[in-house]
Amino acid sequence: MAERDTPEPSAIAPDEVQRFCEFLYRRTGMSFSESKRYFIDRRLNERIAATGSKSFQAYFSLLRADAEHEIEHLINSFTVNETYFYREDAQLRCLTSGMLDAIVSRKAPGEPIRIWSVPCSTGEEPYSIALWLMENWPQVDNFNIEIVGSDIDTKALKAAVEGIYGDRALMRLSPDIIARYFTRLDDGRYQIDEGLRESIEFSRINLIDTADMARQRDFDVVFCRNVLIYFDDASRRAAAENLYDCLRPGGYICLGHSESMSRISPLFRVCRFPDAIVYQKPEADHG
Amino acid sequence: MPLIKAGGKAADKPAKGDNSAGHLAGLTSAAADTRWSTARALAGRADAVPALAGALASEDSPRVREAIMTALMRVGNEASVKVMLPYLAADDAGLRAAAVEALQGIPEAVAPFMQALFADTDSDVRILATELARNMPEAEATRLLCALIENEQHPNVCAAAIDVLTEVGTKEAIPVLERCATRFAATPFVPFAVSVAIARISGTEA
Repeated sequence: MAERDTPEPSAIAPDEVQRFCEFLYRRTGMSFSESKRYFIDRRLNERIAATGSKSFQAYFSLLRADAEHEIEHLINSFTVNETYFYREDAQLRCLTSGMLDAIVSRKAPGEPIRIWSVPCSTGEEPYSIALWLMENWPQVDNFNIEIVGSDIDTKALKAAVEGIYGDRALMRLSPDIIARYFTRLDDGRYQIDEGLRESIEFSRINLIDTADMARQRDFDVVFCRNVLIYFDDASRRAAAENLYDCLRPGGYICLGHSESMSRISPLFRVCRFPDAIVYQKPEADHG
Repeated sequence: MPLIKAGGKAADKPAKGDNSAGHLAGLTSAAADTRWSTARALAGRADAVPALAGALASEDSPRVREAIMTALMRVGNEASVKVMLPYLAADDAGLRAAAVEALQGIPEAVAPFMQALFADTDSDVRILATELARNMPEAEATRLLCALIENEQHPNVCAAAIDVLTEVGTKEAIPVLERCATRFAATPFVPFAVSVAIARISGTEA
């Protein structure tokens, strides 16, 4: 059954869809095949209606000009904006099955492992990293691990510090994990364990502000997922260079599944682990 | 608990860069890390364009070159464009690609130079220049690329321009594309590319 108030898809010519898909891929890295035609048509028609555009061509012109931040609205309509625990867990598996082994092999005794979640929104990602490590990494007790969560949105950070979540945010966690790490509140929501809340540092950050980013250094792994697709070319490059400086040599950066650092900057090398593709700052930069 | 709260890692914000000779000297340091950090500190600084230009000319580290290009890109004025344009003809493919990517990101600043680029005697420069139109407003990109196609003798340059028009072209490009297909009828990939472009622009099946 069709959703109420959602316009039925109107005819957008196949070549117009192709034109749109090529633009979307070049601009964001998001790739859609013909099998997603209904999904594309539906989202496109929603945006055409929302912007009051009279045709695909009129909408496409508006989109290319990024009038009224239409790129951001479009990306939002094509992506899952909801954040929840253990989202895109392939990279979490990669963390404990590949990245950390390489990282600890370079560590001096007593040197901490530093992991950064940016943007961290309301905290689901940094807490997920903490939970995942405690549940899945056998060496977790052998190292000091520092997890930092940063975001530009101070309201989101305040919520992250409180660590209170509804059912949907916890949908991918097992009842056992929920029972061991969360306290059910009177209103039916769940608050994450106080020890976990107090072990994670939250801070405000603007990814493209070089001075801001200079406050964050020496990370071994950075989770920077689904944010660079929103930036224009200049901002993406600035963010990539800032992230490069935030990483230790040999450190890894994890992007969203539709993002590719290779399309943004040549500074990092591609690392293919069995569970995920991530990007690495060269251990020894000869240039 | 193995998790410890991060502390003591936050450094003071670095002071705003200055344009003193001492600061700019970092661009000629023997240490690539110093050149890299100096270039990054100069990002967006219009007064640093001459120093960045000099540094780019002698820089052999791809990483530092990338930072210099980004710094110039973030200035985004006529002077910074003039510094980067000659690299479209560089022998080093990486440098050419870096220049294209940086210039693509500042279409307004590049626009006044497009006519001269399309008149360059080097067809490879004209080919790369077509990519600079990709981020321009459709009407302007269409006008520039159509003017190029109308007089262009090299099929590869026309094909590059057609490829960009396939994404950004408006209906005004269709007659120009049709004439191009006729002119290069003996070079089959050109009429084929034109048929795809016209289909995308007009929204009809190829």
